Amino acid sequence: MSPLRRFLRTPEAVAGAILLGALAAMALSASLLFPGDPQAIAGPALLPPFQDWSLPLGTDRLGRDVLAELFHGARTSLAVGLAAAAAALAIGAVVGTLAGFADGLVDEVLMRVTDAFQTVPSFLLALAFVSVVGPSLGIVVIAIALGTWTGPARVARAEVLSIRERDYVANARAIGMHPLEIAFREVLPNALPPVLAMSSVIVAAAILTEAALSFLGLGDPNRVTWGGMIAEGRTVLRTAPFLSIVPGIALVLTVLGVYLAGEGIVETTAVKRGLS
Amino acid sequence: MSLLAVSNLTKNYRRTGKPVAAVDDVSFTIEPGETLALAGPSGSGKSTIARLVLRLIEPDAGRIEFEGSDFLVLRGAALRARRARLQMVFQDPLAAFNPRATVARVLDDPLRIHGIASRAERPRRIAALLERVGLAADLAPRAIHEISGGQRQRVAIARAIATKPSLIVLDEAVSALDVSVRGQILDLLLDLQRQDKIAYLFISHDLGVVRAVAHRVILLNAGRIAESGDARAVIDAPRSAIGRALVAAAPKLNRAKT
Repeated sequence: MSPLRRFLRTPEAVAGAILLGALAAMALSASLLFPGDPQAIAGPALLPPFQDWSLPLGTDRLGRDVLAELFHGARTSLAVGLAAAAAALAIGAVVGTLAGFADGLVDEVLMRVTDAFQTVPSFLLALAFVSVVGPSLGIVVIAIALGTWTGPARVARAEVLSIRERDYVANARAIGMHPLEIAFREVLPNALPPVLAMSSVIVAAAILTEAALSFLGLGDPNRVTWGGMIAEGRTVLRTAPFLSIVPGIALVLTVLGVYLAGEGIVETTAVKRGLS
Repeated sequence: MSLLAVSNLTKNYRRTGKPVAAVDDVSFTIEPGETLALAGPSGSGKSTIARLVLRLIEPDAGRIEFEGSDFLVLRGAALRARRARLQMVFQDPLAAFNPRATVARVLDDPLRIHGIASRAERPRRIAALLERVGLAADLAPRAIHEISGGQRQRVAIARAIATKPSLIVLDEAVSALDVSVRGQILDLLLDLQRQDKIAYLFISHDLGVVRAVAHRVILLNAGRIAESGDARAVIDAPRSAIGRALVAAAPKLNRAKT
Protein backbone atom coordinates (compact mmCIF):
# COMPACT_ATOMS: atom_id res chain seq x y z
CA MET A 1 0.00 0.00 0.00
CA SER A 2 1.37 3.41 -0.92
CA PRO A 3 2.19 5.81 1.95
CA LEU A 4 -0.39 8.30 0.68
CA ARG A 5 -3.11 5.63 0.70
CA ARG A 6 -2.17 4.60 4.23
CA PHE A 7 -2.15 8.25 5.28
CA LEU A 8 -5.64 8.73 3.89
CA ARG A 9 -6.97 5.70 5.76
CA THR A 10 -6.31 7.20 9.19
CA PRO A 11 -9.31 9.43 10.00
CA GLU A 12 -7.40 11.90 12.19
CA ALA A 13 -4.81 12.37 9.50
CA VAL A 14 -7.52 13.15 6.96
CA ALA A 15 -9.17 15.64 9.35
CA GLY A 16 -5.79 17.28 9.95
CA ALA A 17 -5.01 17.40 6.26
CA ILE A 18 -8.38 19.01 5.50
CA LEU A 19 -7.89 21.65 8.20
CA LEU A 20 -4.38 22.39 6.99
CA GLY A 21 -5.54 22.47 3.40
CA ALA A 22 -8.24 24.97 4.30
CA LEU A 23 -5.67 27.10 6.11
CA ALA A 24 -3.29 26.99 3.16
CA ALA A 25 -6.13 27.85 0.78
CA MET A 26 -7.05 30.82 2.98
CA ALA A 27 -3.47 32.02 3.08
CA LEU A 28 -2.96 31.64 -0.67
CA SER A 29 -6.28 33.17 -1.72
CA ALA A 30 -6.15 36.10 0.72
CA SER A 31 -4.95 38.69 -1.76
CA LEU A 32 -7.21 37.33 -4.54
CA LEU A 33 -10.44 37.33 -2.53
CA PHE A 34 -9.58 40.39 -0.47
CA PRO A 35 -7.30 42.58 -2.55
CA GLY A 36 -6.05 45.76 -1.00
CA ASP A 37 -5.21 46.56 2.59
CA PRO A 38 -7.10 44.30 5.04
CA GLN A 39 -6.58 47.00 7.66
CA ALA A 40 -8.55 49.58 5.62
CA ILE A 41 -12.01 50.66 6.78
CA ALA A 42 -14.65 48.64 4.92
CA GLY A 43 -17.94 49.58 6.60
CA PRO A 44 -19.58 50.77 9.82
CA ALA A 45 -17.81 49.92 13.06
CA LEU A 46 -18.77 46.88 15.17
CA LEU A 47 -21.13 45.35 12.63
CA PRO A 48 -22.09 41.88 14.01
CA PRO A 49 -21.57 38.78 11.84
CA PHE A 50 -24.19 37.49 9.37
CA GLN A 51 -25.93 40.89 9.07
CA ASP A 52 -24.46 42.25 5.88
CA TRP A 53 -23.43 39.60 3.36
CA SER A 54 -20.79 41.83 1.81
CA LEU A 55 -19.14 41.72 5.25
CA PRO A 56 -20.14 38.19 6.39
CA LEU A 57 -18.22 38.13 9.67
CA GLY A 58 -18.93 41.76 10.45
CA THR A 59 -16.47 44.53 11.26
CA ASP A 60 -14.29 45.43 14.20
CA ARG A 61 -14.02 48.60 16.29
CA LEU A 62 -12.61 50.61 13.39
CA GLY A 63 -14.93 49.18 10.74
CA ARG A 64 -12.41 46.72 9.24
CA ASP A 65 -13.65 43.58 7.51
CA VAL A 66 -13.14 40.68 9.97
CA LEU A 67 -13.22 38.00 7.25
CA ALA A 68 -10.52 39.80 5.25
CA GLU A 69 -8.43 40.10 8.39
CA LEU A 70 -8.94 36.41 9.13
CA PHE A 71 -7.70 35.42 5.66
CA HIS A 72 -4.67 37.68 5.80
CA GLY A 73 -3.98 36.55 9.36
CA ALA A 74 -3.81 32.95 8.12
CA ARG A 75 -0.83 33.98 6.03
CA THR A 76 1.07 35.29 9.04
CA SER A 77 0.28 32.27 11.18
CA LEU A 78 1.29 29.82 8.48
CA ALA A 79 4.42 31.74 7.47
CA VAL A 80 5.64 32.20 11.04
CA GLY A 81 4.76 28.65 12.05
CA LEU A 82 6.58 27.03 9.14
CA ALA A 83 9.55 29.39 9.11
CA ALA A 84 10.12 29.18 12.86
CA ALA A 85 9.81 25.39 12.87
CA ALA A 86 12.18 25.08 9.90
CA ALA A 87 14.70 27.36 11.61
CA ALA A 88 14.39 25.50 14.93
CA LEU A 89 14.81 22.10 13.27
CA ALA A 90 17.77 23.31 11.21
CA ILE A 91 19.57 24.84 14.21
CA GLY A 92 18.72 21.84 16.40
CA ALA A 93 19.87 19.28 13.83
CA VAL A 94 23.18 21.06 13.21
CA VAL A 95 23.95 21.67 16.90
CA GLY A 96 22.89 18.14 17.86
CA THR A 97 24.95 16.56 15.09
CA LEU A 98 28.06 18.55 15.97
CA ALA A 99 27.68 17.81 19.68
CA GLY A 100 27.07 14.11 19.16
CA PHE A 101 29.77 13.67 16.59
CA ALA A 102 32.52 15.90 17.97
CA ASP A 103 32.58 14.40 21.46
CA GLY A 104 34.65 15.86 24.30
CA LEU A 105 34.86 19.59 24.81
CA VAL A 106 32.73 20.63 21.82
CA ASP A 107 29.94 18.29 22.95
CA GLU A 108 30.19 19.59 26.49
CA VAL A 109 30.06 23.27 25.44
CA LEU A 110 27.21 22.82 22.95
CA MET A 111 25.09 20.81 25.37
CA ARG A 112 25.61 23.31 28.21
CA VAL A 113 24.49 26.08 25.83
CA THR A 114 21.47 23.91 25.01
CA ASP A 115 20.80 23.48 28.74
CA ALA A 116 21.00 27.23 29.22
CA PHE A 117 18.42 27.83 26.49
CA GLN A 118 16.22 25.08 27.85
CA THR A 119 16.12 26.43 31.39
CA VAL A 120 14.74 29.79 30.21
CA PRO A 121 11.01 29.50 29.41
CA SER A 122 10.87 29.76 25.65
CA PHE A 123 8.04 32.29 25.68
CA LEU A 124 9.95 34.64 28.00
CA LEU A 125 12.96 34.30 25.73
CA ALA A 126 10.88 35.23 22.68
CA LEU A 127 9.26 38.09 24.58
CA ALA A 128 12.61 39.51 25.69
CA PHE A 129 14.16 39.11 22.25
CA VAL A 130 11.32 40.84 20.40
CA SER A 131 11.08 43.69 22.88
CA VAL A 132 14.80 44.37 22.59
CA VAL A 133 15.21 44.01 18.82
CA GLY A 134 11.81 45.32 17.79
CA PRO A 135 8.82 43.57 16.26
CA SER A 136 8.92 42.43 12.65
CA LEU A 137 8.02 39.14 11.03
CA GLY A 138 11.65 37.99 10.68
CA ILE A 139 12.47 38.85 14.28
CA VAL A 140 9.39 37.01 15.54
CA VAL A 141 10.50 33.93 13.59
CA ILE A 142 14.00 34.09 15.09
CA ALA A 143 12.61 34.71 18.58
CA ILE A 144 10.40 31.62 18.40
CA ALA A 145 13.17 29.47 16.89
CA LEU A 146 15.53 30.52 19.72
CA GLY A 147 13.22 28.95 22.27
CA THR A 148 12.40 25.73 20.41
CA TRP A 149 15.62 24.43 18.84
CA THR A 150 16.76 22.66 22.01
CA GLY A 151 14.34 19.72 21.69
CA PRO A 152 15.43 18.79 18.16
CA ALA A 153 19.07 19.30 19.21
CA ARG A 154 18.78 16.70 21.99
CA VAL A 155 17.00 14.19 19.81
CA ALA A 156 19.53 14.67 17.00
CA ARG A 157 22.45 14.23 19.41
CA ALA A 158 21.06 11.01 20.86
CA GLU A 159 20.55 9.63 17.37
CA VAL A 160 24.02 10.68 16.22
CA LEU A 161 25.62 9.05 19.28
CA SER A 162 24.27 5.70 18.14
CA ILE A 163 24.92 6.20 14.42
CA ARG A 164 28.54 7.27 14.78
CA GLU A 165 29.47 3.82 16.15
CA ARG A 166 28.23 2.12 12.98
CA ASP A 167 30.60 0.52 10.54
CA TYR A 168 29.81 2.88 7.70
CA VAL A 169 31.07 5.83 9.73
CA ALA A 170 34.30 3.94 10.46
CA ASN A 171 34.46 3.13 6.75
CA ALA A 172 34.09 6.82 5.85
CA ARG A 173 36.94 7.64 8.24
CA ALA A 174 39.05 4.84 6.80
CA ILE A 175 38.82 6.27 3.30
CA GLY A 176 39.95 9.65 4.65
CA MET A 177 36.70 11.61 4.59
CA HIS A 178 36.78 14.95 6.42
CA PRO A 179 35.02 14.78 9.82
CA LEU A 180 32.62 17.57 8.89
CA GLU A 181 31.66 15.77 5.70
CA ILE A 182 31.10 12.57 7.70
CA ALA A 183 28.94 14.47 10.19
CA PHE A 184 26.75 16.24 7.67
CA ARG A 185 26.70 13.85 4.73
CA GLU A 186 26.90 10.41 6.31
CA VAL A 187 25.45 10.86 9.79
CA LEU A 188 22.97 13.76 9.75
CA PRO A 189 20.67 12.45 6.97
CA ASN A 190 20.30 9.17 8.84
CA ALA A 191 19.64 10.95 12.15
CA LEU A 192 16.87 13.14 10.73
CA PRO A 193 13.67 10.99 10.81
CA PRO A 194 13.07 11.16 14.60
CA VAL A 195 13.95 14.87 14.53
CA LEU A 196 11.46 15.55 11.75
CA ALA A 197 8.80 13.67 13.71
CA MET A 198 8.89 16.58 16.17
CA SER A 199 8.05 19.13 13.49
CA SER A 200 4.26 19.10 13.94
CA VAL A 201 4.55 19.84 17.65
CA ILE A 202 6.99 22.65 16.91
CA VAL A 203 4.87 24.19 14.14
CA ALA A 204 1.83 24.17 16.42
CA ALA A 205 3.80 25.70 19.30
CA ALA A 206 5.26 28.34 16.98
CA ILE A 207 1.80 29.38 15.74
CA LEU A 208 0.59 29.71 19.33
CA THR A 209 3.68 31.64 20.41
CA GLU A 210 3.29 34.03 17.50
CA ALA A 211 -0.36 34.59 18.43
CA ALA A 212 0.61 35.19 22.06
CA LEU A 213 3.31 37.69 21.07
CA SER A 214 0.82 39.52 18.82
CA PHE A 215 -1.74 39.49 21.62
CA LEU A 216 0.79 41.30 23.78
CA GLY A 217 1.36 43.81 21.01
CA LEU A 218 4.75 42.41 20.00
CA GLY A 219 3.73 41.10 16.59
CA ASP A 220 4.68 42.74 13.32
CA PRO A 221 2.53 45.93 13.37
CA ASN A 222 2.25 46.01 9.58
CA ARG A 223 0.59 42.62 9.34
CA VAL A 224 -2.76 41.31 10.45
CA THR A 225 -2.36 38.50 12.95
CA TRP A 226 -4.92 36.39 14.74
CA GLY A 227 -3.32 37.13 18.07
CA GLY A 228 -3.53 40.83 17.30
CA MET A 229 -7.21 40.47 16.36
CA ILE A 230 -7.99 38.76 19.67
CA ALA A 231 -6.19 41.53 21.53
CA GLU A 232 -8.07 44.13 19.51
CA GLY A 233 -11.43 42.52 20.34
CA ARG A 234 -10.61 42.27 24.04
CA THR A 235 -11.54 45.93 24.69
CA VAL A 236 -15.09 45.27 23.45
CA LEU A 237 -15.35 41.72 24.73
CA ARG A 238 -18.75 42.32 26.40
CA THR A 239 -20.46 44.08 23.54
CA ALA A 240 -18.82 42.29 20.56
CA PRO A 241 -17.37 38.96 21.74
CA PHE A 242 -17.29 37.61 18.15
CA LEU A 243 -14.24 39.81 17.48
CA SER A 244 -12.16 37.62 19.82
CA ILE A 245 -14.04 34.37 19.30
CA VAL A 246 -13.68 34.19 15.49
CA PRO A 247 -9.86 34.41 15.36
CA GLY A 248 -9.72 32.23 18.48
CA ILE A 249 -11.61 29.45 16.70
CA ALA A 250 -9.36 29.85 13.66
CA LEU A 251 -6.31 29.44 15.91
CA VAL A 252 -7.70 26.34 17.63
CA LEU A 253 -8.59 24.68 14.32
CA THR A 254 -5.16 25.46 12.85
CA VAL A 255 -3.20 24.02 15.78
CA LEU A 256 -5.51 21.01 15.84
CA GLY A 257 -4.97 20.50 12.11
CA VAL A 258 -1.20 20.68 12.43
CA TYR A 259 -1.18 18.17 15.30
CA LEU A 260 -3.50 15.70 13.59
CA ALA A 261 -1.71 15.83 10.25
CA GLY A 262 1.67 15.50 11.97
CA GLU A 263 0.41 12.57 14.02
CA GLY A 264 -0.89 10.97 10.83
CA ILE A 265 2.46 11.33 9.09
CA VAL A 266 4.36 9.85 12.05
CA GLU A 267 1.88 7.00 12.21
CA THR A 268 2.18 6.33 8.48
CA THR A 269 5.97 6.22 8.50
CA ALA A 270 5.98 4.07 11.65
CA VAL A 271 3.81 1.48 9.94
CA LYS A 272 6.06 1.59 6.90
CA ARG A 273 9.13 0.90 9.01
CA GLY A 274 7.40 -1.89 10.87
CA LEU A 275 6.66 -3.68 7.62
CA SER A 276 10.06 -3.32 6.00
CA MET B 1 62.06 -2.85 4.93
CA SER B 2 58.67 -4.01 6.10
CA LEU B 3 55.52 -2.43 4.75
CA LEU B 4 53.94 -2.36 8.19
CA ALA B 5 55.83 -2.77 11.44
CA VAL B 6 53.80 -2.92 14.63
CA SER B 7 55.69 -3.04 17.88
CA ASN B 8 54.52 -3.45 21.48
CA LEU B 9 50.98 -2.37 20.63
CA THR B 10 48.76 -2.13 23.70
CA LYS B 11 45.14 -1.09 24.11
CA ASN B 12 43.15 -1.21 27.33
CA TYR B 13 39.41 -0.84 27.69
CA ARG B 14 37.87 0.23 30.92
CA ARG B 15 35.04 -1.96 32.06
CA THR B 16 33.40 -0.92 35.36
CA GLY B 17 36.55 0.88 36.44
CA LYS B 18 38.89 -2.07 35.90
CA PRO B 19 41.14 -1.83 32.85
CA VAL B 20 40.91 -4.85 30.56
CA ALA B 21 43.74 -5.42 28.11
CA ALA B 22 42.18 -5.93 24.68
CA VAL B 23 45.57 -5.93 22.99
CA ASP B 24 48.64 -6.62 25.11
CA ASP B 25 52.15 -5.98 23.82
CA VAL B 26 51.61 -7.24 20.27
CA SER B 27 54.35 -6.94 17.64
CA PHE B 28 54.38 -8.09 14.03
CA THR B 29 55.42 -7.05 10.53
CA ILE B 30 53.87 -7.35 7.10
CA GLU B 31 55.97 -7.43 3.94
CA PRO B 32 54.77 -5.91 0.64
CA GLY B 33 52.42 -8.27 -1.22
CA GLU B 34 52.13 -10.61 1.75
CA THR B 35 49.03 -11.93 3.51
CA LEU B 36 49.30 -12.06 7.27
CA ALA B 37 46.36 -13.66 9.04
CA LEU B 38 45.25 -12.82 12.55
CA ALA B 39 43.23 -15.67 13.99
CA GLY B 40 41.85 -16.40 17.40
CA PRO B 41 38.66 -16.90 19.37
CA SER B 42 36.10 -14.13 19.93
CA GLY B 43 37.45 -11.41 22.18
CA SER B 44 41.07 -12.24 21.45
CA GLY B 45 41.72 -8.74 20.11
CA LYS B 46 41.72 -9.41 16.36
CA SER B 47 39.34 -6.63 15.42
CA THR B 48 40.87 -4.22 17.92
CA ILE B 49 44.25 -4.69 16.23
CA ALA B 50 42.60 -4.03 12.85
CA ARG B 51 41.11 -0.81 14.10
CA LEU B 52 44.35 0.24 15.77
CA VAL B 53 46.34 -0.32 12.58
CA LEU B 54 43.80 1.82 10.70
CA ARG B 55 43.86 4.53 13.38
CA LEU B 56 40.12 4.18 13.86
CA ILE B 57 40.99 3.92 17.54
CA GLU B 58 44.17 5.10 19.26
CA PRO B 59 46.56 2.73 21.07
CA ASP B 60 47.63 3.26 24.68
CA ALA B 61 51.21 2.30 23.88
CA GLY B 62 53.32 0.98 21.06
CA ARG B 63 54.49 2.01 17.62
CA ILE B 64 53.07 1.58 14.14
CA GLU B 65 55.37 2.20 11.20
CA PHE B 66 53.74 2.20 7.80
CA GLU B 67 55.73 2.48 4.56
CA GLY B 68 58.80 3.49 6.52
CA SER B 69 57.37 6.36 8.56
CA ASP B 70 55.72 6.69 11.95
CA PHE B 71 51.98 6.31 11.34
CA LEU B 72 50.92 7.35 14.84
CA VAL B 73 52.28 10.93 14.67
CA LEU B 74 50.03 11.86 11.74
CA ARG B 75 47.15 14.22 12.47
CA GLY B 76 44.27 15.81 10.56
CA ALA B 77 44.80 16.36 6.85
CA ALA B 78 48.12 14.49 6.77
CA LEU B 79 46.49 11.42 8.31
CA ARG B 80 43.52 11.59 5.94
CA ALA B 81 45.83 11.79 2.94
CA ARG B 82 47.85 8.81 4.19
CA ARG B 83 44.70 6.71 4.62
CA ALA B 84 44.62 6.30 0.84
CA ARG B 85 47.46 3.77 1.15
CA LEU B 86 45.78 1.74 3.91
CA GLN B 87 42.26 0.52 3.33
CA MET B 88 39.74 -1.73 5.02
CA VAL B 89 36.98 -4.17 4.09
CA PHE B 90 34.40 -4.84 6.79
CA GLN B 91 32.66 -8.05 7.78
CA ASP B 92 29.07 -7.01 7.14
CA PRO B 93 28.92 -5.31 3.75
CA LEU B 94 25.45 -3.93 4.49
CA ALA B 95 26.45 -2.20 7.73
CA ALA B 96 29.65 -0.88 6.13
CA PHE B 97 27.82 1.46 3.78
CA ASN B 98 25.55 4.42 4.37
CA PRO B 99 22.03 3.00 3.95
CA ARG B 100 21.18 5.88 1.61
CA ALA B 101 24.17 5.39 -0.65
CA THR B 102 24.26 4.15 -4.22
CA VAL B 103 27.05 2.02 -5.64
CA ALA B 104 28.30 5.00 -7.64
CA ARG B 105 28.47 7.27 -4.60
CA VAL B 106 30.32 4.68 -2.54
CA LEU B 107 33.00 4.44 -5.23
CA ASP B 108 32.97 8.15 -6.01
CA ASP B 109 33.94 9.13 -2.44
CA PRO B 110 37.56 7.84 -2.40
CA LEU B 111 38.20 9.13 -5.95
CA ARG B 112 36.92 12.59 -5.01
CA ILE B 113 38.49 12.82 -1.54
CA HIS B 114 41.96 11.88 -2.71
CA GLY B 115 41.72 13.83 -5.97
CA ILE B 116 42.37 10.70 -8.02
CA ALA B 117 40.05 11.64 -10.88
CA SER B 118 38.31 14.81 -12.04
CA ARG B 119 34.54 15.05 -11.77
CA ALA B 120 34.12 14.38 -15.49
CA GLU B 121 36.44 11.42 -15.40
CA ARG B 122 34.96 9.73 -12.34
CA PRO B 123 32.02 7.84 -13.94
CA ARG B 124 34.51 6.08 -16.23
CA ARG B 125 36.77 5.26 -13.31
CA ILE B 126 33.83 3.90 -11.33
CA ALA B 127 32.87 1.65 -14.25
CA ALA B 128 36.49 0.45 -14.49
CA LEU B 129 36.58 -0.34 -10.75
CA LEU B 130 33.34 -2.30 -11.00
CA GLU B 131 34.72 -4.33 -13.90
CA ARG B 132 37.94 -4.90 -11.99
CA VAL B 133 36.01 -6.66 -9.19
CA GLY B 134 33.86 -8.62 -11.63
CA LEU B 135 30.69 -6.55 -11.56
CA ALA B 136 28.72 -5.02 -14.42
CA ALA B 137 29.22 -1.28 -14.87
CA ASP B 138 25.46 -0.70 -15.02
CA LEU B 139 25.27 -1.58 -11.32
CA ALA B 140 26.50 1.95 -10.53
CA PRO B 141 23.15 3.75 -10.15
CA ARG B 142 21.68 1.01 -7.93
CA ALA B 143 21.12 1.58 -4.21
CA ILE B 144 23.48 -0.34 -1.97
CA HIS B 145 20.61 -2.24 -0.29
CA GLU B 146 19.27 -3.44 -3.64
CA ILE B 147 22.25 -5.60 -4.58
CA SER B 148 23.18 -9.02 -3.19
CA GLY B 149 25.58 -9.62 -0.31
CA GLY B 150 28.30 -10.96 -2.60
CA GLN B 151 27.94 -8.01 -4.95
CA ARG B 152 28.08 -5.67 -1.98
CA GLN B 153 31.34 -7.18 -0.76
CA ARG B 154 32.76 -6.78 -4.27
CA VAL B 155 31.76 -3.12 -4.16
CA ALA B 156 33.50 -2.84 -0.78
CA ILE B 157 36.65 -4.30 -2.32
CA ALA B 158 36.36 -1.93 -5.29
CA ARG B 159 36.13 0.97 -2.86
CA ALA B 160 39.18 -0.28 -0.99
CA ILE B 161 41.33 -0.59 -4.12
CA ALA B 162 40.13 2.74 -5.58
CA THR B 163 42.97 4.63 -3.91
CA LYS B 164 45.61 2.05 -4.94
CA PRO B 165 46.55 1.05 -1.37
CA SER B 166 49.59 -1.02 -0.44
CA LEU B 167 47.79 -2.68 2.47
CA ILE B 168 44.17 -3.70 2.93
CA VAL B 169 42.82 -4.82 6.29
CA LEU B 170 40.18 -7.51 5.77
CA ASP B 171 38.20 -7.73 8.99
CA GLU B 172 36.30 -11.03 8.69
CA ALA B 173 35.68 -9.92 5.11
CA VAL B 174 34.32 -13.26 3.92
CA SER B 175 32.74 -14.54 7.16
CA ALA B 176 29.28 -13.16 6.45
CA LEU B 177 29.12 -14.57 2.92
CA ASP B 178 27.70 -17.94 1.97
CA VAL B 179 30.18 -20.60 1.01
CA SER B 180 29.91 -20.42 -2.78
CA VAL B 181 30.30 -16.64 -2.79
CA ARG B 182 33.14 -16.86 -0.27
CA GLY B 183 35.33 -18.81 -2.67
CA GLN B 184 34.75 -16.28 -5.47
CA ILE B 185 35.61 -13.33 -3.21
CA LEU B 186 38.79 -15.06 -1.99
CA ASP B 187 39.81 -15.71 -5.62
CA LEU B 188 39.20 -12.04 -6.42
CA LEU B 189 41.35 -10.97 -3.45
CA LEU B 190 44.18 -13.28 -4.53
CA ASP B 191 43.99 -11.97 -8.13
CA LEU B 192 44.21 -8.38 -6.93
CA GLN B 193 47.16 -9.27 -4.73
CA ARG B 194 49.04 -10.87 -7.64
CA GLN B 195 48.33 -7.95 -9.98
CA ASP B 196 48.97 -5.01 -7.65
CA LYS B 197 51.24 -6.50 -4.95
CA ILE B 198 48.73 -5.52 -2.26
CA ALA B 199 49.45 -6.82 1.23
CA TYR B 200 46.54 -8.10 3.33
CA LEU B 201 46.05 -8.16 7.05
CA PHE B 202 43.52 -10.98 7.02
CA ILE B 203 41.42 -11.28 10.13
CA SER B 204 39.40 -14.42 10.49
CA HIS B 205 38.32 -17.07 12.93
CA ASP B 206 38.07 -19.63 10.13
CA LEU B 207 41.36 -21.54 10.05
CA GLY B 208 40.42 -23.33 6.84
CA VAL B 209 40.22 -20.03 4.98
CA VAL B 210 43.36 -18.77 6.71
CA ARG B 211 45.31 -21.85 5.62
CA ALA B 212 44.14 -21.35 2.02
CA VAL B 213 45.00 -17.66 1.60
CA ALA B 214 47.55 -16.55 4.21
CA HIS B 215 51.32 -16.75 4.00
CA ARG B 216 51.85 -16.33 7.71
CA VAL B 217 49.49 -16.52 10.64
CA ILE B 218 49.40 -15.11 14.14
CA LEU B 219 47.21 -16.87 16.68
CA LEU B 220 45.90 -14.56 19.36
CA ASN B 221 44.51 -15.35 22.75
CA ALA B 222 43.25 -12.75 25.22
CA GLY B 223 45.08 -9.93 23.44
CA ARG B 224 48.46 -11.69 23.32
CA ILE B 225 50.25 -13.55 20.57
CA ALA B 226 50.03 -17.25 21.36
CA GLU B 227 51.82 -18.57 18.33
CA SER B 228 53.00 -17.33 14.94
CA GLY B 229 54.69 -18.62 11.84
CA ASP B 230 54.08 -20.06 8.39
CA ALA B 231 50.31 -20.47 8.00
CA ARG B 232 50.32 -24.10 6.87
CA ALA B 233 52.94 -25.16 9.38
CA VAL B 234 51.11 -23.56 12.29
CA ILE B 235 47.68 -24.85 11.36
CA ASP B 236 48.86 -28.37 10.50
CA ALA B 237 50.86 -28.73 13.72
CA PRO B 238 49.90 -26.10 16.30
CA ARG B 239 52.20 -25.94 19.30
CA SER B 240 50.18 -23.66 21.61
CA ALA B 241 47.16 -24.79 23.58
CA ILE B 242 44.89 -22.24 21.93
CA GLY B 243 46.19 -23.27 18.51
CA ARG B 244 45.32 -26.90 19.15
CA ALA B 245 41.89 -25.89 20.48
CA LEU B 246 41.17 -23.76 17.40
CA VAL B 247 42.25 -26.47 14.98
CA ALA B 248 40.21 -29.08 16.84
CA ALA B 249 37.16 -26.82 16.72
CA ALA B 250 37.39 -26.19 12.97
CA PRO B 251 34.83 -28.25 11.04
CA LYS B 252 36.35 -30.73 8.62
CA LEU B 253 34.44 -32.02 5.62
CA ASN B 254 36.71 -35.04 5.13
CA ARG B 255 36.12 -36.32 8.65
CA ALA B 256 33.20 -38.44 7.48
CA LYS B 257 35.34 -40.27 4.94
CA THR B 258 38.06 -41.42 7.31
